[in-house]
Amino acid sequence: MSEETIQKELENKFSGLKGKITIKRKRRIYVDVTDDIFHNVFAFIVKDLKFPILCTITGLDEGETFGAVYHLASEDGIVLNLKNHVPRANPVFRTISEYFPGGIIYERELVDMFGAKVEGLPPGPRYPLPDGWPDGQFPLRKDWKADMLDKKPEDVKNE
Amino acid sequence: MSFVSRMINWARIKSPWIIHFNTGACNACDIEIIAALTPRYDIERFGIQLKGTPRHADVLVCSGPVTRQIEKRLVRIYEQMAEPKFVVACGTCSCSGGVFNGCYNVKGGINEVIPVSAFIPGCPVRPEAIIDGVVKLLGSLEKAAALPSPED
Amino acid sequence: MSNVKIPIGPQHPALKEPASFTITLNGERILSMDLRLGYNHRGIEKACEERSYIQCMYLLERVCGICSHSHSTAFIQAVEELAGLEVPKRGLYIRTLVAELERIHSHLLWLGVAGHEVGFDTLLMYSWRDREVVMDLLAALTGNRVNYGMNTVGGVRRDISPDQIKDIQKGLDILEERTKYYVEVATEETTLIERLSGVGYLSPEDARNLGAVGPTGRGSQVDRDVRRDDPYASYGDVSFKVITDDHNDVYGRTLVRVKELFETYGIIRQLLKNMPDGPIAVKAPRRIPAGEALSRYEAPRGEDVHFVKSNGTDKPERVKVRAPTMANLQAVAKMLENNRLADVPIIVAAIDPCFSCTDRSIQIKDPSGGNTGVMSWSQIREYGINWYKKHGIDFKSKGL
Repeated sequence: MSEETIQKELENKFSGLKGKITIKRKRRIYVDVTDDIFHNVFAFIVKDLKFPILCTITGLDEGETFGAVYHLASEDGIVLNLKNHVPRANPVFRTISEYFPGGIIYERELVDMFGAKVEGLPPGPRYPLPDGWPDGQFPLRKDWKADMLDKKPEDVKNE
Repeated sequence: MSFVSRMINWARIKSPWIIHFNTGACNACDIEIIAALTPRYDIERFGIQLKGTPRHADVLVCSGPVTRQIEKRLVRIYEQMAEPKFVVACGTCSCSGGVFNGCYNVKGGINEVIPVSAFIPGCPVRPEAIIDGVVKLLGSLEKAAALPSPED
Repeated sequence: MSNVKIPIGPQHPALKEPASFTITLNGERILSMDLRLGYNHRGIEKACEERSYIQCMYLLERVCGICSHSHSTAFIQAVEELAGLEVPKRGLYIRTLVAELERIHSHLLWLGVAGHEVGFDTLLMYSWRDREVVMDLLAALTGNRVNYGMNTVGGVRRDISPDQIKDIQKGLDILEERTKYYVEVATEETTLIERLSGVGYLSPEDARNLGAVGPTGRGSQVDRDVRRDDPYASYGDVSFKVITDDHNDVYGRTLVRVKELFETYGIIRQLLKNMPDGPIAVKAPRRIPAGEALSRYEAPRGEDVHFVKSNGTDKPERVKVRAPTMANLQAVAKMLENNRLADVPIIVAAIDPCFSCTDRSIQIKDPSGGNTGVMSWSQIREYGINWYKKHGIDFKSKGL
């Protein structure tokens, strides 16, 4: 399937995606979705459009929202970067581990580094921060600075 | 120095046993330390042996910067070694934190945590530099052995 | 038989992304494994947000000291895409050349480490001695044995001379001879074959589901290689086979790596023969226009993924690195199932974690409330070697 065909299939199935799909170059497609349709789009891409590889999940601090980009690859080397957003005030994603058991570790990173929640994530040890890392400190948030590690939790909350 | 101390020192200089410890880096220095053991560089001709436990070692060879979670274990390993003991910081990261200085999980070089006898810079440290550094350390031990002690 | 839980935990990282494996044993056999990662967390992605793109490249080179060029190139490719730069062909060829030379050094390194883990130290000494051939070539070409600093935004920093090309060709001849010997060892040395076969089984389906990449995946018939599937640098200009194996075990992973060496020699010969003339880099802006780019690279260990988000300044907005060992560690839990404790070192080493773990600690707990002991990695390695000696597999007794 070519990049253009993939774009058409997505736009046909999900009218809300019109204007949200960019083909930046050969083998690179970017799709921007909202959380309400994310899971249906994800399932469609993985199963119907045949993207069996999850390269990784990138968390993003976008200010008012948190983003998560799911980098999916096909056997032909096409990468589809699917970006979802959730509000910063209530950053809850739902797990995709039923499609990719290997993706659990990437979702744990969203929890540790951004303070997001991932519904449906099976219980398990944190990643990547060490045990004893202070609560409430999320390194990849834009408003977090390294010197916060040596401050008291109350001071951090007030910053 | 008394005769026994001189004997012990001689044995240490002639055949120092080292333990290698990686405190959280990219492994380039670790590879070069192992490479120093392989035929091209062959550090074993100096009688140097790589041991698995700190209790048998004279020299602690460290690579990597000190990360927050490794700090306690590094101190524990240092304390498990019997006196006299020496620490060699291999590579720029163990000397000063190197390229990871400023990263939130990195404290700095090895000397932030334990006393260091020899600093060998390099990114990564070359096997020849490791040999040079260790030989210099042995040389300084020899000088210390030659000093008269109150017991004489 | 009571179940014994064994946490194998590095209290310090020797792996690039070291793991703590909690293994539940039934007698000698491993029933299940829980994985705890993250002991080597340094905070590199955050640090990248406070550094210029060139500084980030030098930092990312040191994510892993064995595949440093992989990370450097994967990153710089994303930046070049964001800046809309077209790297001159000669620059791409040199970049690819260093990449393949790195693959040689990494696979030979792995061969030695694998030998060491099973007690075949002669293999360690031979392969690391031969590895010095390629280390010398890399040092002559780039100025350093590791962490080459070869890339810049827009191309490479050093050109290659006709004499260096001749040296590389001579070096390849030597390496090819030596690699033939390693193929013989891998396919005819029964002691080694017995030690590696049937160990660390990973079905093709599990390999796919758990996202195994590189030789680990290809050793279980996962026919994926970024160089062929999503070509970058000069891989579109060269022809090579992607090596897979159907043993689905550690032996298969060994064969894949050794045979891949021959493909690499072939790729390098093609690159040298067809090296185009011209500049090696284009000028790059300091500020990179806003955008997002996803770069993939086939590191010696497997697929390396870098995602870069730029914001129009001279520093990246976000850098995400997914190194190959990360993807393979998840498959290790599956691989250890039903294997013996004695096989733990070679199974873990067979995914080629960034470096052999010299100091992972193993705590042995007896659920009936008995003794608790701590074993270091070297102790469990000794345990494995001695177990096999008792069962007739001994490299030293065969004069190896």
